[in-house]
Amino acid sequence: MKKYDVIVVGAGNGGLSAAAYLAKAGKKVLLLERHDLPGGCATSFVRGRFEFEASLHELCAMGDGKDGRRKGSAREILESYGMEVPGLFAKDAFRTICTDPAHPVDVVVPTGIQAYIDAIEEAVPGSRDAITGIMELSRMISDSVGWLQERNNEPKLYEYAELLYKYGDLLKVEPCSVSDICKRFGLPKEAEMIFESYWEYISADPDNMSFAVYAMMNYTYLNETPWVPLERSHALELEFDRAIRAFGGDIWYNTEVKRIEIRDNTVQGVTLTDGTFIPCRYVMSNLMPTTVFGHMVDEKEVPVRDRKLIRARKLGQSACTIYLGLDISPEELGIKEYNMFLYDSLNGHESYESHKSLDTHNDFCVTFLNNIVPGASPEGTCMIYFTTLYSADVFKDLKEEDYFAMKDKVARDTIEGFERAMGISIRGHIEEIVVALPVTFARYMGTPMGTIYGYEPDLWDGMFEREQSGHYLDHTVKGLRFCGGHATQMDGYSQAIGSGREQAIFMLEDMEAGR
Amino acid sequence: MKKRYGYDKKALKGLGYTKFLTEVHERNKIIEAQPEEEIVSKYNANILAERLHPRAQYVKVAEVTELKDARRFKLVPDKERGTERLAFFRAGQYVTVRVIIGKTDEAGDGPTDTLKSGMSSGTESVMIRPYSLCSAPMSALGEAPFYEILVKKVPDGFVSSWILENWKPGSEAVLSGPLGNFYYQDLRDAEHVIAAAGGSGITPFLSMAGAVKDGTEKFKLTILYGCRTEADILLKQELDELASHDGIRVVYVLSDEEKTGYEHGFISAELIRKYADETDFSLFACGPAAMYDFLKKQAEALKLPRRLVRFEVSGGARNIAADPGFPKEKLGESYELKLLVHGEMIVTKCRAEETVLTAIERAGVHAPSECRSGECGFCRSRLISGEVYIPADTDKRRMADARYGWIHPCTSYPVSDLEIEVYPVDAV
Repeated sequence: MKKYDVIVVGAGNGGLSAAAYLAKAGKKVLLLERHDLPGGCATSFVRGRFEFEASLHELCAMGDGKDGRRKGSAREILESYGMEVPGLFAKDAFRTICTDPAHPVDVVVPTGIQAYIDAIEEAVPGSRDAITGIMELSRMISDSVGWLQERNNEPKLYEYAELLYKYGDLLKVEPCSVSDICKRFGLPKEAEMIFESYWEYISADPDNMSFAVYAMMNYTYLNETPWVPLERSHALELEFDRAIRAFGGDIWYNTEVKRIEIRDNTVQGVTLTDGTFIPCRYVMSNLMPTTVFGHMVDEKEVPVRDRKLIRARKLGQSACTIYLGLDISPEELGIKEYNMFLYDSLNGHESYESHKSLDTHNDFCVTFLNNIVPGASPEGTCMIYFTTLYSADVFKDLKEEDYFAMKDKVARDTIEGFERAMGISIRGHIEEIVVALPVTFARYMGTPMGTIYGYEPDLWDGMFEREQSGHYLDHTVKGLRFCGGHATQMDGYSQAIGSGREQAIFMLEDMEAGR
Repeated sequence: MKKRYGYDKKALKGLGYTKFLTEVHERNKIIEAQPEEEIVSKYNANILAERLHPRAQYVKVAEVTELKDARRFKLVPDKERGTERLAFFRAGQYVTVRVIIGKTDEAGDGPTDTLKSGMSSGTESVMIRPYSLCSAPMSALGEAPFYEILVKKVPDGFVSSWILENWKPGSEAVLSGPLGNFYYQDLRDAEHVIAAAGGSGITPFLSMAGAVKDGTEKFKLTILYGCRTEADILLKQELDELASHDGIRVVYVLSDEEKTGYEHGFISAELIRKYADETDFSLFACGPAAMYDFLKKQAEALKLPRRLVRFEVSGGARNIAADPGFPKEKLGESYELKLLVHGEMIVTKCRAEETVLTAIERAGVHAPSECRSGECGFCRSRLISGEVYIPADTDKRRMADARYGWIHPCTSYPVSDLEIEVYPVDAV
């Protein structure tokens, strides 16, 4: 068998990015993927006359430097791999609705900072000063993160003076929560709800998430505009596949790694489920440390730090997604927006708490692909995706014989709840329906509990803490590194792409230094 | 200094740098303070995912029921080979049967080498065929779990003939987990399902009727079962028993025989309307291709919206020579098929009339496949060079797959020499 410098385990966006980077750097790379196609949960599937997007609603940091959009970091990475993916920019960021009758909110939030501020002021008069201040602070954070990224998030000691001089306030606000900063600026409650609408994308609630991380994502979306691949995310993944091969990398699908062989704290290679052993000194794992150290590594070889770190962390949210192909156009349905958030509370923390049980969960994230990609499905039809996130293991007692009935129940509750909230009817138009529970995500991604977000970015374990630990401190086994949405840059597809590149850079350095 | 950012610094009053500068230290302290426990990596969702979607189910034939030109096999878990239970499923789903057949090498074009990664030994072919489960879902659970499948003798049916010849009580078999989307969904389907069955296409409806009988499914089921003569009706006794239960009705429709108590002719729009009871209904169909052509016209005459019409993909062999779009001048041609498998090249042959998947299997590659109808995409492979013909009605590829030249070999026919990268599944 051919000899490889690196085996990348898992072809999610982190693994793909790492494989592309390493192959481009001249390393002999073998990318192994358990499933028949790349992308992890960024993929698509066909039912009848519809091709559904599995989970990538929009990509952040894909700005193209045109029409006032800043050039995005994710786009720069893809370009560096020679990749080109056709896509479209959203006109608006989202529509957000508070379904609590005591605090009605219903606002379409445009992209572009000034338009965003104006829309919030119009929806909640009196919030202009506060939201303007918060957006200026967000701009500072965005600039500082750009400055850090130019230094691969590891400024030299002498550069700290520059960091403090230019972006000293980053250090002050990074440990603060989102809601804390909103309070400090005196943002009215309704406006805070609008500002925090994206919190579900990060898997920690506004009381327990670093302001800096949230502000950066929010600012990037508004400034660079959400981007959607024209032919679903599968086109992005196939472009990765092409690029990796063009750099001389090999990819084997339908190939599952059973064990990562470690001896004396050093990687020896991997063993596949069919028993084949492939020797290799370096393994890039796109799988979560919980999975790898939980059942893919000799127990004696699990480092104490990892055992403890895994114990200290909370798994990120798991999701239920309902995919509908409707025999009615979005115009007939009366929905113009691409992305909608419906929360039954103004308070993000309360929402997060309500997501711990099926009985109290009453929020919706709804995506209408046809409203951004015209012709995404045949004329007179449209696709709707509902994404419901759970902040606890709500399916921990689900039995096999109740599984299908539970899928139907979750779908029914969601669809009927959405119909009530919006005063529309979709029941009589469902031509295709697919329901994915955390079991489904566990099936396709193998993540513990079916989490889609890795580990919760609690205030003690957010992006900045992970970034400062991801090079050395959390690199515990010689030859083994982790990348993906569960890693240093946190959840999100752009983050996974960035993380793959970052850990590949560190791995090249490990190789040179013989680490 | 010029103010670079227009926010009021007072909002950050009382905040310092210390927290940021010590956060890694604090994180280390939190990690350090944890007890050293065993790592939990498999939660209920993971356990259910493994149970509902097993990679393979090892079974043994427990019973064989002799039917006209067909046999029904009762399959039970083979504990000796590690299968303790059977996966629960939705009535209407199928499993694939994987058989390894000593190579007949009819075309004399076997692989050039043996014992490569992802391949069986040089004298064997690995064949996979889908079969609808005809037992009720609940029978997969409990103390004595079992599945039932029905295998009909079909002319030129290589695998079905092999199964009918070789499966005896005690025989070993390997199944996939339950697959497919041909099942009832109450948010989409009407409360009344009219099931149009032809020949062995009765199997998914037997399972649905069983599920309605035991309460797993809650809809009204009318089965219109089309057969040539009364003698061709498969499992009539079981069907009659099922029809004695509330919510289940079975109507036999004989095309070549007129008999009292039976409908005569085909499953026409008129007949469907007769049994529709003036309410909304969904039309589900499973049977041979000729029946589908006929039924599609009936569904149009009935002005049924697409959401109320569901046809099970058949997975059966197709007469490509009769396909109007197929380039006729290619008939009879045989092409060189180069297969890249785990970095090794295998050279074999593929005839214009057969699917690329058939040739890959004949070459001994453990090729992935499930539905064999173009739909599930599990066999997707990378076309490196050459051209294939894909009948338009079976081209269910993702848009990007089509643009990047990925194909579903199960519905692709060669029209030139081909080079394809195949990603084999584990031998089981």
